[in-house]
Amino acid sequence: MKRDGRSYVVAQVDEREVLAVVAKHEAGCGGLIAILEEIQAIYGYLPEQALRQVAQATDRSLVDIYGVSTFYRSFSMQPRGKHRVCVCLGTACHVRGAQSVTEEFEQRLGIQSGETSEDGEFSLETVNCLGACALGPVTVVDGKYVSKVKTSQVRGLLDKARKGYAQSGNGEDKEAFAIAVSCPVCSHSLMDAGFPLDDHPSIHVKVSIDHQEGCLRLSSLYGSGSLASECEIPPGEVAIFRCPHCLAELTGADDCSICQAPMAPMAIVGGGTMHVCLRRGCPGHLLDLQ
Amino acid sequence: MKLSSIEKLTEWRSVLAKKNASGKSCLCICAGTACQASGSNEIIRATKRALIERRLLDRLSLRITGCHGFCEMGPFVLTEPQQAFYTQVKAEDVPRIIDAALAGEYVEELLYKDPSTGQKYYHRGDIPFFKNQQRTILEANQKIDPIRIHDYIAEGGYRGLEKVLSVQDPVWVVEEVKKAGLRGRGGAGFPTGLKWEMLAKQRSNGGKFLVCNADEGDPGAYMDRSILEGNPHSIIEGMIIGAYGTGATSGVVYVRNEYPIAIKHLTAALQQARTLGLLGGNILGGGFSFDIEIVRGAGAFVCGEETALIRSIEGKMGEPRQRPPFPIQRGINGKPTAINNVETWANIPVIIVRGADEYAKIGTKNNSGTKIFSLVGKIRNTGLVEVPMGMTIKEIVYNIGGGPVGKAQIKAVQTGGPSGGCIPASMFDLQIDYDSLSRAGSIMGSGGMIVMDENTCMVDLAKYFMRFLKEESCGKCFTCRKGTQRMYEILDDITTGKGTLEHLDLLEELAHVVKDTTMCGLGQTSANPVLSTLRYFRDEYLAHIQNSRCPAQVCKPLLSYSINNNCIGCQACGKACSVNAIHGERKQRHFIDASKCIKCGTCRSVCKYDAVEAA
Repeated sequence: MKRDGRSYVVAQVDEREVLAVVAKHEAGCGGLIAILEEIQAIYGYLPEQALRQVAQATDRSLVDIYGVSTFYRSFSMQPRGKHRVCVCLGTACHVRGAQSVTEEFEQRLGIQSGETSEDGEFSLETVNCLGACALGPVTVVDGKYVSKVKTSQVRGLLDKARKGYAQSGNGEDKEAFAIAVSCPVCSHSLMDAGFPLDDHPSIHVKVSIDHQEGCLRLSSLYGSGSLASECEIPPGEVAIFRCPHCLAELTGADDCSICQAPMAPMAIVGGGTMHVCLRRGCPGHLLDLQ
Repeated sequence: MKLSSIEKLTEWRSVLAKKNASGKSCLCICAGTACQASGSNEIIRATKRALIERRLLDRLSLRITGCHGFCEMGPFVLTEPQQAFYTQVKAEDVPRIIDAALAGEYVEELLYKDPSTGQKYYHRGDIPFFKNQQRTILEANQKIDPIRIHDYIAEGGYRGLEKVLSVQDPVWVVEEVKKAGLRGRGGAGFPTGLKWEMLAKQRSNGGKFLVCNADEGDPGAYMDRSILEGNPHSIIEGMIIGAYGTGATSGVVYVRNEYPIAIKHLTAALQQARTLGLLGGNILGGGFSFDIEIVRGAGAFVCGEETALIRSIEGKMGEPRQRPPFPIQRGINGKPTAINNVETWANIPVIIVRGADEYAKIGTKNNSGTKIFSLVGKIRNTGLVEVPMGMTIKEIVYNIGGGPVGKAQIKAVQTGGPSGGCIPASMFDLQIDYDSLSRAGSIMGSGGMIVMDENTCMVDLAKYFMRFLKEESCGKCFTCRKGTQRMYEILDDITTGKGTLEHLDLLEELAHVVKDTTMCGLGQTSANPVLSTLRYFRDEYLAHIQNSRCPAQVCKPLLSYSINNNCIGCQACGKACSVNAIHGERKQRHFIDASKCIKCGTCRSVCKYDAVEAA
């Protein structure tokens, strides 16, 4: 990443990454739009350099790529700020005062909607409808939905964003708790008090990937992604988990709802099953309590 | 596990249903977008923790569901089989709710209370918001965890598919849908069965497409999101049945990128259906194949128009094109394509399972079935309501919606989004269906119903829609591109005190020209917000023009703020003012500097003493 003259952050584009995205989406429906969406997900906006590479790789003229990039509202050709404020301007939000909320944000940030502040801290965007109409006016600040926003709350929301919201998607999952699990085959406990992670006993399994095998320890704090592994698992790769006691493969759960990789089941002490996605880096997990 | 025949599916369903019928109590918690925004994730986590730590899973289970519709009251917990409905729950309430559910008792103070009468309800079904609805589609949401296909199947899911594969007659499928009288829920109300019949007759050697339009661009409507999030398998089943009836070979769900949870749940559901052999090659061993893929939209309202949607699916700019040829003849990649909206697809399994004759009994003649409305805006019970066609607006707004929130009277409802119009309170006896709404100058649209009270300015509303339309106009027809822009400018002049009476005639003339000379639905209906407000609320336009006054106190250039004698000098307004326009000593009356004031109204919203006045 580097900073250009306008002082906000311009992405360094990795050509291999762009080509991989193109290759992934070229065959299916949606083609170009899916490619641009993924590039935007990586860089936060559509860097010119990446668009040139897409044009070359898909054998289309740059004008076509530019046309699609500017036609759709969710694409941005400008780098975005560190914090993102998105005010819903749907009809239900409008009749409950979303316009005043937008103006208050504009006033406080000193920018118009669609712009990024000079210091690169905030981008202010508006959206036609977020589908949370019953709770209008709705604003999303760094991924967190705030309902029934009043103009008097705006200053506080910006302050909170500067300090940092928990990066936990929509909700405030503040109440973390630890669980204890056992092998679903031999019922032996998988907990390892001698190797704590996040200040709790860790979950101990045998992991194998390619021809390597070793011990893997996962945090038992529900929702935490902390882990320690003896063998290197490259991000995106799918591993196999085994019970360290009976050596049975932990398998048989439904596939991950985020990345469709297999998940490993573990029996929860107290009832229910915990499913953990086997893809390195995927946050997918499921606590099955039915 | 792959199910190799219809019998295997039936068998497995009875196994699953038996398991579910164990009689164990259950806590249902909604995790739809709105409830997540209200904090339901925290409630879910607290519940999981309590169930595990107290080892209660033998006696109590937890079901995380999609939207139940009563979004105003979220986050909530519904207990089964009690049907106790606890509203606006906090994490610290969870242990009490669990104890009460185990003992068959109630946590009295958390039960839903009618805000106007104060009456407490012990059974969810007795709450007027739910009691006065007829929920054939939404009802399933509370019984299903959307990422678990087992739940859907146990509740009778894929029985429609079973029936279709047993009858083995595509013509029968299309006839049933025709006989049921289902009309497209996306807005225009075209008979679905007729559309399918036309697709079935198309010859194509390169395959045919079915599309589920989940672009839901209409601001203020969110029923499609709630169905996709809460019951994705009903859409998948509907599309498989449609494919069997029409001979379609591929399906596409075109879904908005603004709906991440819907995309996640649909992705998981498609994967599960494929794994079970309900989707893909040789479905249930019957030799019939069909698969569905997801295409994400990128935020363009015009892509709800079918030819634009097809271009977007092809990865191009979503500009509409001239019809004919209709998509039924030449759609995606030139192949015959039929497009139906999410809610339409969700109705298909219901029609097949209940039978067309039973289905046609719901609603009125020529307008059968139920319709889901998103009842939002200035109304007490905001949320999704599902009612039979033909219910009056009054019944929906007052019996289900609970009437106005504060003292301000309800003035109108707006239906159909930017393509629709406003219906004044004097016409609330109107029975809602496709035909009556269009006679009243509005449209059904996808089902947005935005309630407006005396504090909503109708000129400002028309301006709001026109700004939306001018921004979303693709620009292909110049009458739409320039016409919406010019109508916006005139409305802007009126709301800033620069309007003249001639403007009104010009506005009306422009509206008719745009309506008559544009190619696609966006342009043809773009005049509706202007024409319907001019028709029913002309007096508000006149007040802006002749008296430089905004009766609803919305249009800022016509407003001025002042502080009256109620002021006690608490300084709250001064601190809240972002432009330092308020002066005054502590415990002394404050004053607003009109030259600095930006009329944001923040001072008025923070004042506890009614000391800030607008005129």
